Amino acid sequence: MTASAVRMPEPAAVPKSGARLLVSTLERLGVEVVFGYPGGAIMPVYDALTGSSLRHILVRHEQAAAFAADAYARRSGKVGVCLATSGPGATNLITGIANAMMDSVPIVCITGNVAQAVMGTDAFQEIDILGVTLPIVKHSILVRDPADVPAAVEEAFHIAASGRPGPVLIDLPKDVQVGQTSEDIGFRYPNAVVPVDHDAIARAADAIRQAERPLIYVGGGVKIGRAVDPLRAFAEATGIPSVSTLNALGTIATDAPGALGMLGMHGTRGANEAVQEADLLIVFGARFDDRATGKLAEFAPHARVVHFDIDASEIGKLRQTQVAVAGELPAGISALTAHLAPTPLRIDPWMMRCATRAERTGFRYDAPGEGVYAPALLKAISEAAGDDFVAACDVGQHQMWAAQHCRFAKPEAHITSGGLGAMGFGLPAGIGAKLADPDATVVVIAGDGGFMMNVQELATLRRYDVAVKILLLDNSSLGLVRQWQELFFNQNYSEVDLSDNPDFVRVAEAFGVEAFRISRREEVTAGIARLLAADGPCLAHVIIDPRENVWPLVPPGKNNAEMMEGA
Amino acid sequence: MTRTLHLHIDRADGSLQRLIGLVERRGFHIDGLSLSDDGAGRRVEMAVRGRDVARCPETLGRQIDKLFGVTRFAPSAAPHPERVV
Repeated sequence: MTASAVRMPEPAAVPKSGARLLVSTLERLGVEVVFGYPGGAIMPVYDALTGSSLRHILVRHEQAAAFAADAYARRSGKVGVCLATSGPGATNLITGIANAMMDSVPIVCITGNVAQAVMGTDAFQEIDILGVTLPIVKHSILVRDPADVPAAVEEAFHIAASGRPGPVLIDLPKDVQVGQTSEDIGFRYPNAVVPVDHDAIARAADAIRQAERPLIYVGGGVKIGRAVDPLRAFAEATGIPSVSTLNALGTIATDAPGALGMLGMHGTRGANEAVQEADLLIVFGARFDDRATGKLAEFAPHARVVHFDIDASEIGKLRQTQVAVAGELPAGISALTAHLAPTPLRIDPWMMRCATRAERTGFRYDAPGEGVYAPALLKAISEAAGDDFVAACDVGQHQMWAAQHCRFAKPEAHITSGGLGAMGFGLPAGIGAKLADPDATVVVIAGDGGFMMNVQELATLRRYDVAVKILLLDNSSLGLVRQWQELFFNQNYSEVDLSDNPDFVRVAEAFGVEAFRISRREEVTAGIARLLAADGPCLAHVIIDPRENVWPLVPPGKNNAEMMEGA
Repeated sequence: MTRTLHLHIDRADGSLQRLIGLVERRGFHIDGLSLSDDGAGRRVEMAVRGRDVARCPETLGRQIDKLFGVTRFAPSAAPHPERVV
């Protein structure tokens, strides 16, 4: 328990098991949905779930529980919760936990474990999951006494959601779950308030006033820190152009004036060239990820850096910073805007240069041929779905095409595995997002490789009638790997052929999910309409050209100005 | 160049493992380690050395500051924003 926690007296309670205390504490914290899969060492918790207000979503693999909890958190703004048993149940969560860690998503993962008396004896389904997950959690707690369950759960929720969010693991040995206690102590954690560093803000404002070519570099921390509105106000008030990381797309609407799109490996030419020319980067909630920077030593070579971040350890980690502003983003950005308000910036030539280049180098959608052109399809479906559109992306070429071509009006509309790049994320993420926001038009954008990694979750879609729309872009290969083998490994195509994929329409139908196929460009408009109009879950199996590549591309080891373009 | 970190860690499961794992994972060798019970927890003195010149001890310190149950004694270091109440 952190020193700031305040012990809240509770009425005298009748004895309860640790498992029942877990459930009642989750209820008290406002949890509505938990994703999980039962097993031997978590059975007392599943017994206690019966009759609770919690809605348990039975997935078909624990990895999907963690991914769904992650997307639920991203879409709802709440803490996502998943449950698993010991041993293999717990280890199956690992990729999902790592995903939440890399993208700073607040989830609480609750695992059962063997009884304390046999811990350390290699008991059946015993794994030191606390030890295994240490590098990929924000924090973890092994509860050793039933009386400690409420405090542990509340502490886990507080840590997961506060500051820079992340995953927290709670490991519950079986004897703790079944042990009885009359204690039911809750704690309330005050929100930490980091005072705005006005001196640093003033230095940041000075740096911006002195700059001729300032550029906003938006990271996922803006969305996570609930600083979207202040950032938009800052961008509008100053007119400074902006570039976005993958996880920040939509923070400034992708079609807003001055929004140059994504930077980095598959970023737009307008974004990458602006970064290379900028004399000041104003970085908000970003961590200079290598996919964004390319060759770090040559990234933004003319720029000084002003860096705002809640996580002080990210400032100066990879790129020297001239002005560091560690703390809460909303207050910091608002203070910066106020500092700059009296005097308009004189950056019209720079704004014009960025806008003209973005216009000149923008994407085209007139590719020849009769086959489906995935970029045009993705642009069209995002526009057809409107402001309710939420993309739950898997990982691969389709993910990059979605980032480049979809219209995102808000950051919560783009749910993607950014830091970890975990194939298989899309379908369970779509389930989590739709359950968090039933009114949203949630479209899973998947490739044939990643879709097969969690294809079993079609059963979850059907069981709960989750009206997710699946856009399955099938190029019968591991497209991004194939592209790299083509470009950087002398066309030595090694283990990327998936031409023996199953018939995905029949697979979906076997799970009881409506499905149809789009094979030709002329079928796209009607296919999008059918997919979006379906009452329940629906899958559109889209055949695309296996030779299609994602362009532009910054080759490995090159700087972001050295972009390759396709034919 | 070797730096010595002066730390205090609680008795929670995994605390020491969490600390050592972080230091090594972030690219530092641990050249010396001493641990003593001080009643309230454990005092740790850890000598660390970056694997290459790009490893910044100040960044490592701020990363350690993010761990729960760990206190770093570094008079010149500002507290991590997540830990300021």
